[in-house]
Amino acid sequence: MNVELDDLTRRFGRTHAVDGVSLQAGPGVFGLLGPNGAGKTSLLRMMATVLPPTSGRMRLLGRDPADHAPRREIRRRLGYLPQTLGYYPGFTVVEFVEYFALLKEMPPGQVPRAVAAAVERVGLGEKARAKLRTLSGGMLRRVGIAQAIVNDPDLLLLDEPTAGLDPEQRMDFRALLRDVGQRATVVVSTHLVEDVGAVCDDVALINAGKIVFHGSPAELTARGEESGAAGDSALERGYSAVLAATRSAAAARS
Amino acid sequence: MNNDVNLDRVWLGVAAEVWRRRPGPVERAAACLLRSPGLARALVTTPSLLLGWTVATVVAVAAGLAATLTTGTAYVPLVAPAVAGVGIAYAYGPGMDPAWELAGSMPVSDRMVLLVRALAVFGLNAVLGLVASAASGAVAALTFGWLVPMAAVCALALAAATLSRSANVGAAAGLAGWAMTVLGGRVATGSMVAAATASSLVVPYLLGAAACGVIAWYAARIPRRTS
Repeated sequence: MNVELDDLTRRFGRTHAVDGVSLQAGPGVFGLLGPNGAGKTSLLRMMATVLPPTSGRMRLLGRDPADHAPRREIRRRLGYLPQTLGYYPGFTVVEFVEYFALLKEMPPGQVPRAVAAAVERVGLGEKARAKLRTLSGGMLRRVGIAQAIVNDPDLLLLDEPTAGLDPEQRMDFRALLRDVGQRATVVVSTHLVEDVGAVCDDVALINAGKIVFHGSPAELTARGEESGAAGDSALERGYSAVLAATRSAAAARS
Repeated sequence: MNNDVNLDRVWLGVAAEVWRRRPGPVERAAACLLRSPGLARALVTTPSLLLGWTVATVVAVAAGLAATLTTGTAYVPLVAPAVAGVGIAYAYGPGMDPAWELAGSMPVSDRMVLLVRALAVFGLNAVLGLVASAASGAVAALTFGWLVPMAAVCALALAAATLSRSANVGAAAGLAGWAMTVLGGRVATGSMVAAATASSLVVPYLLGAAACGVIAWYAARIPRRTS
């Protein structure tokens, strides 16, 4: 298992952003669904080793990120796209991706080819030497994806990766995810259920910091069919049904 | 003849060569010195070492030199610590550096990035200040005496910026601390440059710099909040 989370919690003051999450994920594409503020980003940031957990245990790529040396090794094999990607406006696409390849401690001799491969993979070859300040939002998102995959990661964490992409780009991106997911663990946090339905083998729905559903997209779809919840697609109906059931259970408890 | 040429692979090889960035001499030297191409790249992208900022620093120190030469009052020792403190505050952090969030997930430690950038900004400002101070014909005590207060101001700015996660707060703390010290020195001794020349202040400056340095180092470990 590349991701093993056991009773993981992250608090900010009195707020439980992530509340006792336990998950396991091997190679494949894992979808993290949930409404805004559910705790998806905090969970992803903990997996990216940016944010330490308040309590609980976490093993990534078979290592404990709490210790310095294993954490460094995890980070070498990690790809991470944050929800908000800052960028140097004066950098070109290639310079930006190369910067992160170097920070990931890739051997310098391998960097130019890896950068070229990542830039081509996200379809930005024609813009390789364009300054980032000249790119559209969707193109910048693809630059962010390129830096995340430049080291051919074993664990790829993507926070809202399809935000700003047009339908054609989203289809290309899903193909990329399927490809990477053949050998690596890809965790995609999103609130777009159609992305999950299209590429994910496994999906977890998180609400108020807790996992309220974990299963396949087909199982989530079945929840919607059983309940008759509202939604434009079968998966959306499943999403709505699980959330509605969770909220009514919480209301009944209180 | 082999007809199974993989054109994608060939193109990638070509693209890698065509797009390859050639590091400049400073970056190459830094990579050798730091034994890390990533750290060297992070160093040469320091916001407060970029050309525009460096030019502004030179202009500020030159203005201090001009004021020194025309008024006879040593303004360089007053200007240099303030400029350096602001530069240190803006060397690295959220809002200033796009790599800040991502750097937290990189094997090259963001604390090392912070350290080398802070040292580089301090070094550049020290050299500029020393050149201006020497050019002003100041006595040796004035030429070198302000390096210690400059270290204290820089450490204060760095600690405040790191604790608050705000370059603006760090810069304001450095400037305010230095202004209060200068004004306090003037009130106590009647001399504008007492804050930079009084030997009795060397130990407090060094202690302050050490304390702020420890605070900054510790604060860099504090977990980052989600936005």
